[in-house]
Order: sequence, then C-alpha cells, then structure tokens
Amino acid sequence: MTGLTLKQVNKKFGEFPVIHEVDLSIDSGELVVFVGPSGCGKSTLLRLIAGLEDITSGEFWIGGQRADQLLAAARNIAMVFQSYALYPHMTVAENIGFPLKLAKLPRARIAEKVAAVGESLRLGALFDRKPGQLSGGQRQRVAIGRALARDPKVLLLDEPLSNLDAALRLEMRMELSRLHKQLAATMVYVTHDQVEAMTLADRIVIMREGKVEQVGTPLELYSRPANVFVAEFIGSPKMNVFSADLDRSGGNPVIRLSEQTALSAEGAAGSRVFAGIRPEHMTPVDDGGLRGVVTAVEHLGADTLVHFDSAFMEGGIARINGISGVRTGENIGFQVAAEQYHLFSENGNRL
Amino acid sequence: MTQMSKTTVAWYLLAPMMIIIVGVAGYPLIKTVYFSFTAAHLVSPDTSDQWVGLTNFLKALGNAKFRSSIGNTVYFVVFSVSAEILLGVLVALLLNQEFHGRTLLRALVILPLALPTVVNAMMWRLIYGPDFGALNALLTQVGLLAEYRSWLGDPSSALTMVALADIWKNFPLVALITLAALQTISRDHLEAALLDGANAWQRFWHVVFPAIVAPVSVALVLRTIEAFKVFDIIYVMTRGGPASSTKTVSFHVYQEAFAYMRVGSGASYALIVVLISAALIAVYLKLLQRQGETA
Repeated sequence: MTGLTLKQVNKKFGEFPVIHEVDLSIDSGELVVFVGPSGCGKSTLLRLIAGLEDITSGEFWIGGQRADQLLAAARNIAMVFQSYALYPHMTVAENIGFPLKLAKLPRARIAEKVAAVGESLRLGALFDRKPGQLSGGQRQRVAIGRALARDPKVLLLDEPLSNLDAALRLEMRMELSRLHKQLAATMVYVTHDQVEAMTLADRIVIMREGKVEQVGTPLELYSRPANVFVAEFIGSPKMNVFSADLDRSGGNPVIRLSEQTALSAEGAAGSRVFAGIRPEHMTPVDDGGLRGVVTAVEHLGADTLVHFDSAFMEGGIARINGISGVRTGENIGFQVAAEQYHLFSENGNRL
Repeated sequence: MTQMSKTTVAWYLLAPMMIIIVGVAGYPLIKTVYFSFTAAHLVSPDTSDQWVGLTNFLKALGNAKFRSSIGNTVYFVVFSVSAEILLGVLVALLLNQEFHGRTLLRALVILPLALPTVVNAMMWRLIYGPDFGALNALLTQVGLLAEYRSWLGDPSSALTMVALADIWKNFPLVALITLAALQTISRDHLEAALLDGANAWQRFWHVVFPAIVAPVSVALVLRTIEAFKVFDIIYVMTRGGPASSTKTVSFHVYQEAFAYMRVGSGASYALIVVLISAALIAVYLKLLQRQGETA
C-alpha cells in the first residue's frame, strides 16, 4: 500500500469551480474519511483520485509517482461504489475474479485469489449466486471483495454504507474497521454521515463548497474545531452556537452569559464573537448557571435531550445522562465548565 | 342480486371481445383451413365444396416457383435483418455518446420508421430509377459506375435493392430498442470496469453487450417475423419481378389466391407460411420469457 499526496488541486466543471486549492497528504495504511454536506465536492475529490475525472490544475502523487496524467486503469486504485456496481450477469465469484481475468492471470491463480478474498469476507457460500439474489450487505461485501482481489495500492469507498439499513450499517462499519486493521490498507472513504467518519477514520477531512475546512483526527475535530462550520458539523446533536457581545469595559474583552459567567475572549476583534457549547457538556443545576425555559423533552433512554430557549440563544439543546424528570415549560439552569466553551471570531474562525 | 363467482364475471367481461375475435379471426382461419382442402376458385362458386384432400399441399411443396420464393424470402430475411441489427446497434452506440446535436440526431434517426412503407417504397423506386435516379447519378459522378443501370430491372440486383430500402426504413427500430437498453446501463458499471482495468472493447463485451443482448434478440426475432411476411414494399417496388426474382412467399400467396383466383391452392400456401411464422413467433415468446427471467 502507498500514500497519496494532493498539491493545490483544483477542479472546474466548465467555468464552475467544484474543488478549490486542496492540499492533502494521506499516509500509507491510513484510513482517511472525506465528510461534508452534499455538494461539498467530497465525491468529486474521490473521483479525481480514482482517475474518473481529470484535475484542472495542481498535482496528484501516488507514493513517489506523479499520477494526475495516469489513466484510471494504470493507477492501481480500486473503488467501491455507492451502488456497488456489481455486474448483474456474473456470479459472485466471476465478479470478484473480473479484474484478475482482465489482468490475464492464470485461471488457477484467479480461483485461488477469489477463494482467499471470499473467505476473508465470508462469501464462500455465495460464490455461485448472481448479484440479484444477494441482500444489500452481501452485495456490499462482494463489491469490497472485487476491489480487494487485485491488491490495489489504494482502496476508495464512495458512501459504501448509505444503501443499507441502520442495523446492517453498524455491522458493516465494524467489518470495514476490522478489514482496515487486517489489511493495513490505504483507504479513502467518503460519507456525509459524521458518525461513520468519527468511528472509522484515522483522520477526517471536512469539506464545504469544494474547500477543505479542517483535517485532523476525530477527537481533534471534536475538541478543537477550527471554525463554526466544523463545530456544528461534528457531533450529534450539533453544538449550540450563539453570538455574544464583547464587553471591553475591564480592559481584556469578555463575554457575559449570566451575572456569574464572564468568559475571556482574548484576541477577539470587533464587537461580537460566536460561542459554542456541546449539548453533552451542559449539566443541569438548580440555582444559577445559564438559565432557560424548556420547550421540549426527548427521551432516548440512555440519555435525554432537553430543548430550551434562553436569553442568549433560542433553540438550544442539552443532553442529560439517563432519564431526566425535566418537563416542558420548566425553568432550568445549566452549568458549563469554562474549558468546554468554544469561542470563534466574527468571521467564524476559532479564537 | 346473487353472488357471481370471479370466474363467471371474467367470462362475461371477456365475452364481447371473444365474439369479435372469433368473428374476424377465428371464422376466416377455419374457412381458410377448409378451403385449403378444396379446389375452390373465385370465379367458379361450385368449386368451393370440391374436396381434394392433401392435393393442394402436395402440389405446393412440389412447386418449384414456391420453393424459389422461399429461397428469395430467406435471402431477404437474412440479408435485411442482419444488416438492420448491425447498423441499429452501431447507430445506437453512437447516439448514446455525448456530443453536440445528439438530441436532434436521435429525432432524425426515427424519421424513416415514421414513413409509411408505401411512401418509402415509392421514394426508393425513384432513387433507383434507371433514367433519372439519384443512385445512378451519384455512383456515376463519383466514378464508381460507368453508365446508368436498371437496379430494379436486373434480376441479379433487384432483391438486394429492395432489401436495402427495407433496411433503411427498419434499422431505426433496432437502434431505438438498443438505445433504450444502453440507457439502462449505469455509469457506475462502466466506471467500475474502467477501474478494474477493462479497455474499450472489454467494457463493451463484458458490460454493454450483456445488457443489450436480450432486447436486441427480441428486436431480431420481431424483425425476422416482419421480414418473413414482407409484401407491401415488394408490391410497390417490383410486383415480384423481374422474372420472379423478388417474389417472396407472401407475394406468392397473394398471386395464387387473388391474381390467379385459385383460393383453395392459395389457402394451402398461406397455411404453410402461417406454420413457418408460428415457429418464429414461438422463438420470440421463448426469448421474451427468458428476458423476463433474467430481468
């Protein structure tokens, strides 16, 4: 397996830019997840890596080899499509063996490789079936098997779990994670689901409108989001973000959320900042704290989501462990540790 | 009201249509079968009950002109249908590419199909014309032909020229069916094959061809049945001539029954043609069934 490097990569469809100045380095054996809302360019970036689209400007390297002029077939990159793209007239074994057949491997060698791949993906019993006779999860495994059969340098996965139901998605996520560890393969994975990104990735690349917003490990993105977009995108329910006026009367700028709570906003320019609090970092208190009125309560069993309006923000959410007795219309207070606040400047970047 | 069973209701609802079908198809068919065993002749009414047994069929099978009309028909079917399939698939592959003016070209390709057969036949008769025909003009002007010839007047070329006119009119049907099938192929399959290392030919052979083979074989059988029955284009262009060189089985039946007015013998020819058509239709149904199973 090999690493990948993208330098100043741009892609335009006609005059319309879809990928803007992407610099990214993916290490050998790393699992990197591209995540972002639909239309952010994550799938296009994957297709550029695969060679299914040409880059407009910039450089793309596979290991030590410049690859942006290489044909897709010459890159030795395999891809699992969202639709699986299994050949409907071929059996499972023929699907998996297809790239090997094209590579003109001897028949015995193909059978051997297909059997090995089938075993690692538990597909042996299905070898003689056609894709139409398989369930969604089985098709998914066949697609992965076909991609792995020829030992590609890099494995690309384009929203591979989005056609599966919730239970199966969880199972396949674990399976993919296991597979990645077992193969130590370089993988690039595209999803719009931040939970998939958080659970699978060694590193996450968050994209918006063709630009990379932040690259980091899941926990870095969670605990130190680079801007408001990343802060709101990672985490579920999403971070409560509200704007607050700066008070410069005491010299250093501070924001006042209640009579007792004043937060230092050192380095902030202008008259306002954005403050963010994750729902899971809000602890209910009887007196004091940030006060609000409960507008709705959702019981999830393991925890309770409390929706509230307050002086500093409307439509806030707090996540309380376990089953809470809070009722709609109640006046409620929350305590938040000072280090759990995220402050962003007026332009959205982290302070 | 008493409760009628579902089956009874179904029979009541089907009855009007069945009466019509029996009236316009069933009765004439039975009458044709009846005539085929008689010496019926249009101008002598008393012949219609002269029972002759299998004589008509034995005569028909022994008739050299009928056998040569079968030969003509087979040539017409094989030549026109294979050219239509080849041309249709190639044109469909072309029209499935993205290029400027594709929509216009797709519309233009359908035009020959929309033309009535008689109009098509008259048009090609003009094109082939021995005195002022466009084909002669074109071929002599580019130097491929020394002097004007009578394409439809020459027994060695007439049937081929009629078949060419038929190909021009009917290949768009094959193109249309193939194009529809091509559009069901997902881009993902082609891209997956590309990443699997398939070149253009391998992508066609392993991805495109399996997706179009069933619809194209349906087109093949449909066109074969139609071509086997060919009548109108021949009636307008050559009337079976010159020297019976374009006489097909349908034309032979028509002449026997309506030109020579030998209804009994004509009926036996017609039944032989029906049997051959039935065999082709059986193949068609089998293919449809197979396509249903793979879909």
